[in-house]
Amino acid sequence: MFEWLENTSVALWVGESLWAYPFMLSMHVIGLAIVVGILSMVDFKLLGGFKGIRVGSFLPLLKFAWIGFLINAVSGVFLFTSQASYFATSTTFLIKLACIFIGAILTKVMQGQLVEAETAGNADDVSMQGLAIVSLLLWLVAITAGRLTAYI
Amino acid sequence: MEAFAQSIEGGIVYTWVTSIYWLWPLMETLHFIGLSLLLGGLIVIDTRMAGFFRGINIAATHKLLPWVFIGFGINLTTGVLFFFGDPMRYAVNWGFQVKMVLVVIAGLNALWFWLRLNKDMHSWEPHGDTSGEAKVVAWISLLGWTGVLLFGRLIPYVGTG
Repeated sequence: MFEWLENTSVALWVGESLWAYPFMLSMHVIGLAIVVGILSMVDFKLLGGFKGIRVGSFLPLLKFAWIGFLINAVSGVFLFTSQASYFATSTTFLIKLACIFIGAILTKVMQGQLVEAETAGNADDVSMQGLAIVSLLLWLVAITAGRLTAYI
Repeated sequence: MEAFAQSIEGGIVYTWVTSIYWLWPLMETLHFIGLSLLLGGLIVIDTRMAGFFRGINIAATHKLLPWVFIGFGINLTTGVLFFFGDPMRYAVNWGFQVKMVLVVIAGLNALWFWLRLNKDMHSWEPHGDTSGEAKVVAWISLLGWTGVLLFGRLIPYVGTG
């Protein structure tokens, strides 16, 4: 299946075009900064930081983080196709993918609880330190595993 | 630039960075974590200063600045070590050169904010729109740093002179 994927016209374009691969990588790092940047700031807020900023006022930023997630899902699929059978068997890549998958679900869960609390008017009283730490660790491992995929 | 790069090659730092095989991947990972902190803080600060996300108290966004500086510090340190570890490659690489110009522009833009806007920030409407000048500074920052990421990621793929 992965070999078939590598030989699709999209995969060949990413692999052979002079600019497609570097362009997708650039999009991927910009998306990374949006996703991990915003989510880590929200996690720091949930851990008790940034006095003077209401938790609820950070919620619209989470929608923006999902745009970054979309950028990386799209650019990530393009990058994956060009070396599908390599990535599919790379342990570090699979660790990265698992962290992103769990991280996305966790973000959705946290966002849901926070939106509900904000609607009820008590988002600032929500206790979510544990989930915030798990979220930070997941993105930390995802970045580390992603970078190591180029080396191992 | 090339003469400077040549003087580095073979020096103590060069030898140290190139002799530890796991140092480069570790520094790259730290560089990615640093850019996430730098951009994460700035996205909140600058999008608010550009007039978006008005639910956030604008003066309070500067509570995020320590993370921006921590991210910048991590990336300045690892970045200098990258350069010292492979000076001839970076010195002649136009991706790296454009990236450095954009870092300087972003720095001057931050200075502009510091000299002209920072002292008035606490009198701005906490949840209101921002001035035209504030919007310009905010957009230069957002676009400048996005450009830094873009050209930084192109370094391995563009001409080496």
